[in-house]
Amino acid sequence: MSDNTLKKRKRNFDDAANAALFIAAFIGVWQLVFTLGIFPQISLPSPTMVAETFVKIIFNGTLFWSVGVTLGRLLAAFAVSITIGALVGFTMIKFKSFGKTLNSFSAGLLAFPSIAWVPFSILLIGFNEFGIMFVVVMSSVFSIMISTYSSIRNIPPIYLDAAKNMGAKGFLLFRHVTIPAATPSLIIGLRQAWSFSWHAVIGAEILMSIVGLGHILSVGREFLDMSQVIASMITIFTIGLLVDRFLLHKLEDKIRAKWGLDNHR
Amino acid sequence: MTKLQARNIVKHFDHNGNSVAALDGVNLNVEEGDFICIVGPSGCGKSTFLNIVAGLEKPDSGEILLNGKPISDSGPDRTMVFQEGALFPWLKVIDNVEFGLKMSGIPKDERSEISQRYLDMMQLTKFANSYTYQLSTGMKQRVAIARALAMDPEILLMDEPFAALDSQTRDLLLVELQLIWERTKKTIIFVTHNISESVILGNKVEVFKNRPSKIKKEIIIDYRRPRLAEDENLQKYYHQILDELKSEVIARTKDEIQ
Repeated sequence: MSDNTLKKRKRNFDDAANAALFIAAFIGVWQLVFTLGIFPQISLPSPTMVAETFVKIIFNGTLFWSVGVTLGRLLAAFAVSITIGALVGFTMIKFKSFGKTLNSFSAGLLAFPSIAWVPFSILLIGFNEFGIMFVVVMSSVFSIMISTYSSIRNIPPIYLDAAKNMGAKGFLLFRHVTIPAATPSLIIGLRQAWSFSWHAVIGAEILMSIVGLGHILSVGREFLDMSQVIASMITIFTIGLLVDRFLLHKLEDKIRAKWGLDNHR
Repeated sequence: MTKLQARNIVKHFDHNGNSVAALDGVNLNVEEGDFICIVGPSGCGKSTFLNIVAGLEKPDSGEILLNGKPISDSGPDRTMVFQEGALFPWLKVIDNVEFGLKMSGIPKDERSEISQRYLDMMQLTKFANSYTYQLSTGMKQRVAIARALAMDPEILLMDEPFAALDSQTRDLLLVELQLIWERTKKTIIFVTHNISESVILGNKVEVFKNRPSKIKKEIIIDYRRPRLAEDENLQKYYHQILDELKSEVIARTKDEIQ
């Protein structure tokens, strides 16, 4: 094993140790607040009580079922979002004044809260899967669209000049230069869109669904079951973290390393 | 045989709403196998002229003829080596060299045969699988040259390709480029602001006037190769070009102050 991999392992281990320490400290403070009785038990259960709820919802299948449903909706909507967002983004590049106009609305579109789509979606589509997916798509599609547009526009012109000079044009230019040149920046847009979708799917499920993570969160509230609320929140946090860290971030790191973008000293 | 002809090339730029004349009737005949160097004060439009020859920019009037036929677009028959190399960071060295061949639909086997040859010529074989960020500036320019030569262009266009190099690397590449020119018999147009570079490389040096620019003088350098930077006999050409340029640089500075 090379020196470098050893160093990397050591660093990963240190990172994990630090994270574990942080979590332990957090649980410690939580337990302390519980023991001091600052809040009534029904408002703030102890870490052990939440752990018991976790065991319960894992063994009765609720957790996996909810996670599965939520991720299913999310992935389906995200795929739609990427397809539409990318296509509109490319159209914005192709038709300059259209792109410019749409781009000038981008701040409003990006800042628009996903929850604010819910009433519209309920009335337009209804309390069903498509209604939820609609909210998720609307919450992430603009992010994909704007990032596609700006990533391509920010490609250094010299890459395109060089490629054209070597005879690349049309689809070949697009496939072999435009897309790869825009990729590092596209990935950042993808990560942002992912986190928007994640916000949106949970929000929509709280208000519009009878299954899913957002739903068990809202059931917990209705039955005054704070343990279930916290267990759902921890699950939401963990999935959000894992997907970003082990999928999207990994992907970004890989591309950045290939380009040599992390070699700044 | 005349390889390339520039006929009365005129180009204006829009600068804060004012039209600035960059090129004001550039005429140039390039013979097959010529090594033409273009020197001129900075901002005189020499790179613009090269971009027009490459087809990356359009002239306001005038035309470029390649083998007697007017050029329309940018194309692989006139490949350019850019100042910054313009290599693609998402491709390995070997894929950068093969890029143009791939675009023209040359099959894989033939591509790797060609890229091997030019990687070898530029002493890059060991780095074939490196990414560009792993290379020094000098090696990047070698890749850029290999990439341009791999296209087997009618004319090789070079836009200050050695401007960013340290002087040792530059001296080395100046010799290598002469050897490559003799070996491949390529027609080359090389733009530079560096007079010694032009004297070492060119068999003809075109001195550009301050803008609105045209060719002020052509100096023929008939001297044995490979020429070395330290060769004292080249001094007289150097001074001849310097004299031509001096008044232009002064004019240029005056422009800038006003």
